[in-house]
Amino acid sequence: MVYKLKNINVTYGQKQVLHHISCSIEKGKWISIIGQTGAGKSTFVKVLKGLVSFQGDYELNGQPVKQDSKGNIGVIPEIGFVFQYPEHQLFETTVEKELSFALKHKDMTKTVILDRISTILPMVNLSEDILPLAPFQLSGGQKRRVAIASVLMTKPEVLIVDEPTAGLDPINRTNLLQQLKNWQHKTKGTILFVSHQMEDVAQYSDEVMLFHRGYLMGHFPVETLFLKKSSLLKQAGLALPESIQLLQLVEELSGENIQVTSCKEADIFAKVIPILKARGLDDE
Amino acid sequence: MMNNSILIGQFFEAKSIFHRLDPRSKIICISVIMLSFITLETITSYIAATLLMFLLLRLSNIPLKIFLKGLKPLIFILSFTFLYHLFLTKGTTVIWSWNFIHITLEGLIQGIRFVWRIILLVLIASFLTLTTKPLSLAAGLEKLLAPLSKLHLPVEQLSLMIVIAIRFIPTILQELDRILLAQKARGFDINALPIHKRLFAYIPMLVPLLFTTVQRAEQLTYAIDARAYGNGKGRTHYIELRFQKIDYQIISSTLLIALAFVLLKLGGI
Amino acid sequence: MLTFDHVYFYYKKEKPIIEDISFTIEKGEFVCIVGPNGCGKSTIAKLIDGLLMPKKGTIRIGNHHTKDPNDLMKIRQRVGFVFQNPEDQFITTSVLDEVIFGLENICVPREDMYNRALSALKVVNMEDYLDAMPHELSGGQKQRVAVAAIIAMQPEIIIFDEATSMLDPEGRNQILAIMHQLHSEGMTIIHITHHMEEVLQADRILLVAQGKIHFDGKPAPFFQTIPVENFQLEQPFAVRLHRLSGQAVALTADWKGAIRSQWSTN
Repeated sequence: MVYKLKNINVTYGQKQVLHHISCSIEKGKWISIIGQTGAGKSTFVKVLKGLVSFQGDYELNGQPVKQDSKGNIGVIPEIGFVFQYPEHQLFETTVEKELSFALKHKDMTKTVILDRISTILPMVNLSEDILPLAPFQLSGGQKRRVAIASVLMTKPEVLIVDEPTAGLDPINRTNLLQQLKNWQHKTKGTILFVSHQMEDVAQYSDEVMLFHRGYLMGHFPVETLFLKKSSLLKQAGLALPESIQLLQLVEELSGENIQVTSCKEADIFAKVIPILKARGLDDE
Repeated sequence: MMNNSILIGQFFEAKSIFHRLDPRSKIICISVIMLSFITLETITSYIAATLLMFLLLRLSNIPLKIFLKGLKPLIFILSFTFLYHLFLTKGTTVIWSWNFIHITLEGLIQGIRFVWRIILLVLIASFLTLTTKPLSLAAGLEKLLAPLSKLHLPVEQLSLMIVIAIRFIPTILQELDRILLAQKARGFDINALPIHKRLFAYIPMLVPLLFTTVQRAEQLTYAIDARAYGNGKGRTHYIELRFQKIDYQIISSTLLIALAFVLLKLGGI
Repeated sequence: MLTFDHVYFYYKKEKPIIEDISFTIEKGEFVCIVGPNGCGKSTIAKLIDGLLMPKKGTIRIGNHHTKDPNDLMKIRQRVGFVFQNPEDQFITTSVLDEVIFGLENICVPREDMYNRALSALKVVNMEDYLDAMPHELSGGQKQRVAVAAIIAMQPEIIIFDEATSMLDPEGRNQILAIMHQLHSEGMTIIHITHHMEEVLQADRILLVAQGKIHFDGKPAPFFQTIPVENFQLEQPFAVRLHRLSGQAVALTADWKGAIRSQWSTN
């Protein structure tokens, strides 16, 4: 499906938190949603999922979604939403019940549910041994993955993840991001990744949506933002990933324009390190 | 989304004599007034109490709508009380009947009375928290209860508990809000359920809320210990409580008012 | 000034959390404690402040023992503790009250309280929020108030127990800047963290895993000798750059400065 927003405004009480947002989200991309705290990222993804009321037009595949008089639409079932610290919201007595929760409310049979559990669990690197356990018996990282798996159980075509790696240790962070990437590849799904970690954004995204003070400053391919329009990031109060800073520093010192087409760290290192070595930085 | 700026019983900044009053006098006066409200009986006394309440609300310089917002969550209890008395009060003057259900004038009056009394009590109680900062409230209570610590009652800790309770009400409401939103996102919308199912549906929401609240409590215990609170004894106090002329004036007027209510009651007026 | 002497800790005897740990931290040091989740880092922090008691061994701050109930109040005055979750350590209902709370506990005379609280809040740039209530503040602001509440008590050591992990980059950088400023004024800092970028600037690293200390020393040898991936950690950018450049870029947190200065000398 194609999700299209036209001139969306959102107001909480007296305060307008989103201004004139127009965009379209297409299938199969990793789109990072970035901006400072309070820039409107969270509200934007809540609008997409249909969780907050708004003014403006929302189209699904070209068909307008009906709004009630208060500006609410129902939740969009094709979009999965993983909130921050989702493990705080686990409430069933076993992992199996937790995973089945959403589907049971859709009256699916037990065999269908179990079948789906066995395809979803490996995606987040969990084994079926934990199904009978109570969520509180699991480690922090496992709980997080159960919470994410319970959203994947509904087979969303778009997955919204709000700071999914917050509070995890470095290896668990990397693993989780890789699992999300794999899910995206396998299901041809879309990921909307709300994050403050510019390194992760540069590493995993296809596209980036940049928010600042309630405005959408742009929706770019990730390379365009980091390699060509990095001044926008500074305007929005965000730091550049260190690899980009390195690239810019070497460009500044050498006075050369280094041809880079990818903003992944390994690709930048591949271009920059030979220059550093050629400068003979090691022969002090 | 919940609007966090309006919360039941949170301190409301304004300039009024009640904001300046020593918290101890407020606690004493409001307790006395609440006691006299509980014993309200005659129409005259209800009218007198209502007028008194209006006078207090005016003098507090707090907008009326703030008080009314505090009543909103009580609508369920209020309507239940009203219906209970409406249907179950025995009376002779039937004003409406259908099969075995009779509504009598006595029941109607009784219902209105009870509801009105609860409203008065809630208003006067929220008067205390709206005009007093939690910390002064706790300090006042601690001072008033100080004699009880001779009986080994943990008076200081009790007052800290009150502060923490007031502090965490908004946090816990925010948390509940997040949980409801997450459940809605999972396709489970509580507000879409019929009312009789809704109550039960809240139970699974309360589980994670309880869980995080217990975790919070544990963390908070560490935080309090780490800040050298000890058992709360022998601390110095930033808030200095001192009775002033106005405190004596207000306390004596309150006692006079209470006396007036007693007289109304004795005279059956 | 801080000594762990053969310390053991467990909840269940067959599942030890801390096993025979000994180390000493001197006044004015900036020590990072790192390790995988659940390795016992936070337990060590709580043991230092007497929030947990060792099952065996002793912990001393100067000549105060955490096991001695009479010393405990002194220790909590000497050791400040900033916890991970900004929400769950905000005890009172306003910023000023929060800082005053600790001062009341350590019996500061009433006349001195306001000034001490205000100057502590100035250190963390929160002096304009005296009456703000916790639910009106961001996570980073709450955490800065928590730091001010500690500074006002004038401790000798401050423990930051993953105090930056729940903050956005802006909030994190503010807390880090405050930590380094306090350190430069002579404060002993113990910083528990997962962010390896923050570790490079420390005087000393303690690597804890499975209840034991696996490394105790300076950052450079730490990253050169320890396979950090085995401890669920990763190398920070500066280390990756140093390695992949065949050590062309010196190993320092300030890799930009290193490149710049070497570029100009060549």
